[in-house]
Amino acid sequence: MSQAGATGEAGSGLTAAWQPLAGLRIWLTMLTICIEERLVYRGDFILGTLMRFLPIVTQIFLWTAVFAATSRPDIAGYSRNDIVAYYLLTMVTRAFSSMPGLSSGIARSIRDGSVKKYLVQPVDYVSFLLAARVAHKLVYYLIAIFPFGLVFFLCRSYFPPLPDAATILAFLASLLMSFLLGFFMEAALGMLGFWFLEVSSLMFAYMLVQYLLSGHMFPLDMLAGIPTGIAGVSLAEVVRWLPFHYTAYFPAAVWLGKIHGPERTAALFAEAAWVIVMIVVCRLAWWRGTRRWSAFGG
Amino acid sequence: MSAAKDPVIRVAGLAKDYRVFDKPEGLLASIRGIFHRSSRVVEALRGVDLEVGRGEFVALLGPNGAGKTTFLKLLSGIITPSRGTAHVLGHVPWERADDFRRRFALVMGQRNQLWWDLPAAESFRLHQEIYRIDPARFARTRDELVDMLGVRKLILQPVRELSLGERMKLELVAALLHEPEVLFLDEPTIGLDVVAQHTIHEFLRHVQRERQVTVILTTHYMKDVAALCERVVVITHGDILYDGSLVEIVDRFTTHKIVTLDLDDAAAARHLERLGYPCEIRGPQAILRIDRARIADVLPEVLRGGGVRDVSVEDVPLEEIVAELFRSAPARPTAASPATAEATP
Amino acid sequence: MSRYLSIFGTFARACLVRDMTFRANFVLECVTSLGWMAMNLAFYLLVFQFTPEIGAGTGWSKAPFFAFVATGMIINAIVQTLFMPSAEELTELVRTGGLDAVLVRPLDAQFLLSMHRVDFSSLANGLVGLGLLGWSLARLDQPPPPVAWAIYPVLILCGVAILYSLIIMLAAATILMGRNQSLYDFWFYITNFSRYPAEIYAGPWGGPLRAACTFVIPILLVVNVPARVIAQPLTGQSWWPVAGTIGAALASLVISRLVFQSALAKYRSASS
Repeated sequence: MSQAGATGEAGSGLTAAWQPLAGLRIWLTMLTICIEERLVYRGDFILGTLMRFLPIVTQIFLWTAVFAATSRPDIAGYSRNDIVAYYLLTMVTRAFSSMPGLSSGIARSIRDGSVKKYLVQPVDYVSFLLAARVAHKLVYYLIAIFPFGLVFFLCRSYFPPLPDAATILAFLASLLMSFLLGFFMEAALGMLGFWFLEVSSLMFAYMLVQYLLSGHMFPLDMLAGIPTGIAGVSLAEVVRWLPFHYTAYFPAAVWLGKIHGPERTAALFAEAAWVIVMIVVCRLAWWRGTRRWSAFGG
Repeated sequence: MSAAKDPVIRVAGLAKDYRVFDKPEGLLASIRGIFHRSSRVVEALRGVDLEVGRGEFVALLGPNGAGKTTFLKLLSGIITPSRGTAHVLGHVPWERADDFRRRFALVMGQRNQLWWDLPAAESFRLHQEIYRIDPARFARTRDELVDMLGVRKLILQPVRELSLGERMKLELVAALLHEPEVLFLDEPTIGLDVVAQHTIHEFLRHVQRERQVTVILTTHYMKDVAALCERVVVITHGDILYDGSLVEIVDRFTTHKIVTLDLDDAAAARHLERLGYPCEIRGPQAILRIDRARIADVLPEVLRGGGVRDVSVEDVPLEEIVAELFRSAPARPTAASPATAEATP
Repeated sequence: MSRYLSIFGTFARACLVRDMTFRANFVLECVTSLGWMAMNLAFYLLVFQFTPEIGAGTGWSKAPFFAFVATGMIINAIVQTLFMPSAEELTELVRTGGLDAVLVRPLDAQFLLSMHRVDFSSLANGLVGLGLLGWSLARLDQPPPPVAWAIYPVLILCGVAILYSLIIMLAAATILMGRNQSLYDFWFYITNFSRYPAEIYAGPWGGPLRAACTFVIPILLVVNVPARVIAQPLTGQSWWPVAGTIGAALASLVISRLVFQSALAKYRSASS
């Protein structure tokens, strides 16, 4: 519930029109509905979550085979166990940062005009979406904790010993921020619908970039040897300057101790900066978008 | 009754049960639902007997959920019954023999069977191939049907650009291209405007007479029934409640006539009220419900008071009769014994 | 048979007409699938930065491995073009009752349901797959013998047949259950196992997995057997998997057909 409080505050802080108490009541109703929905299809859900680990299983076998064929003890600083742990941890980060249906939902509501009701009702659209998403995610974790727990228990031997408290705190902070970053990036993307009629291609491009550069496919440290054409700058460094790696790679790397010390602190601040930038971008897009939209008469 | 004529559809003791799972409402109930899912059996159809002769046009009436659509789905072989038998054109529908499926058509008003993004002509061509229609015959039938409905110009336009009424007309053309002997229509006029409804009535009447097609129609519009059907079958709670002619329904189930009077002034209205018949006054008009047996006595009495400019005597509207009929049906929560559903009066 | 071919021709033509009506969308879909593919290829290239081979002594070095990937691309392109769009639509058909209209047609329902849509944009992947196959075969230590060339297309068809049967089984489950979101996820995840050489599934966990995906759901035969025939030297040992794949393809076609028929007999239809 502490998580809920934190994000709930963030949501209501964004708008003056949203009265905290009424807002909380709406949010609680939303939460209850989410829980009921999930429970009706819980069989599907637990099975679905477990199946989501299957691609990782193939990835793990692939890297095991790679390690079998090469004489190196590690690849880009990752032992085989590290790689297994890395993939499992990205599942956790993706559970926080991925926002299925968010940008397409926003774009659709702009296209079919249903966004109109948020212009007349005393509810801020983005805050409403954020609250709904928080509710959804909370319920998701409530049930997903069982399949996740099972998989992590079975795979416990791949993990290094439990890191120190500072690392765990940094990990949690990076997870929470990855949720916010994922949310506001996707929301901003959806709002491109104010300017472009057909946004599915943009969304696809985003998805590709996100999939590749977030570290979902492989630990981004592996890009360290790939030159970019700029002298002395590797692809890994470029990727580290972009926001995408916070949504999968970064929390996992923090937990595994691949990033630590001052570097870690700096990266956390950079992540926070990205969150703020994305909130501002989102606000601006909403503000300019709705103005443009009402000027065209919807 | 028509059962004596060469029966095209013969149904005996046809029943369909569904097992439905209760969706628990509320948080606690859904948590309990994790461990235990309760289900119950719903009897959509409880042992129906029916015979329909060649060339009959039968209306299947009943409130929502009465089992009409289930019945049509059984007759077209989409679903398999729990009990009972049915023969359509000598075939058991749910065996889905190609030979049978080539000889009937099913039109569902709420569903689109034409290709959405392509002109209807393309869907027609596909029909020709699926039903193996001889090309010359196909062209002739298509032109005839298209002209009858006045939609020749529309068949080259993508279906998505057409209005609901136009689409329905083209659906009917598609359904009749293979010259089916039996036609099942599930709410074909739903959502259509009066003009389109009228065109479709004319068309169906014509096709049915010309080709001796046997038609079963479900609808909620009594206009469809009045325009098309001599025979009416009423289904409620999965049983046949009434099977007979339309005229007979009116005879059997109406006790009153509606008398409408155009009045001169308020004095005439006051006189009417003093007579004490159930009476509703709307401006210069008075509407009375009079017992059918007493109409000959009542009418002179009403007119004697004077101040009446015009008078009309009508039957209670069909909608009202049917609504009353639906309401009168006793709900039977227990399993039905098939014998109680006696089809022919 | 010829009637079915001509009906399929009508379907294909109709889909092509529609694709050409929404040309921009069509191009976008091609680009989409090519994008995914390019990303995967980039990943494999990255992997080969760190190793000469996938698995010790398996023979899956760079050139054979890319022939393997190309084989998978070709098989998946065929499945995506011919069957997947129809299968994806089936959920919608079951939910809205559109399946009713299919069942009253005097035509085989399995044919209608699995082949009424053709997705031409997926052919783009197949073309790239063919190109990649040519590229990687030219880089093999020894070119594939004629007998491999002869049997390769047959095995490709067997792979398609196995995947098609899997789709039909899932379609049957859809008809019985009324909805199937996680079932199509299941398809995605289970076929995911076929993306890499079977040799990587080794060890106490991999062994049973490999056995299950070979003998229970023969998903590992789909890409592996044709790819091995074309990209690895043929030995006396090579013929057992070939015979097994042909047998598995036939058996799965028959079994899936039976399951599908029994699902249709139990179809409930959407209430309306």
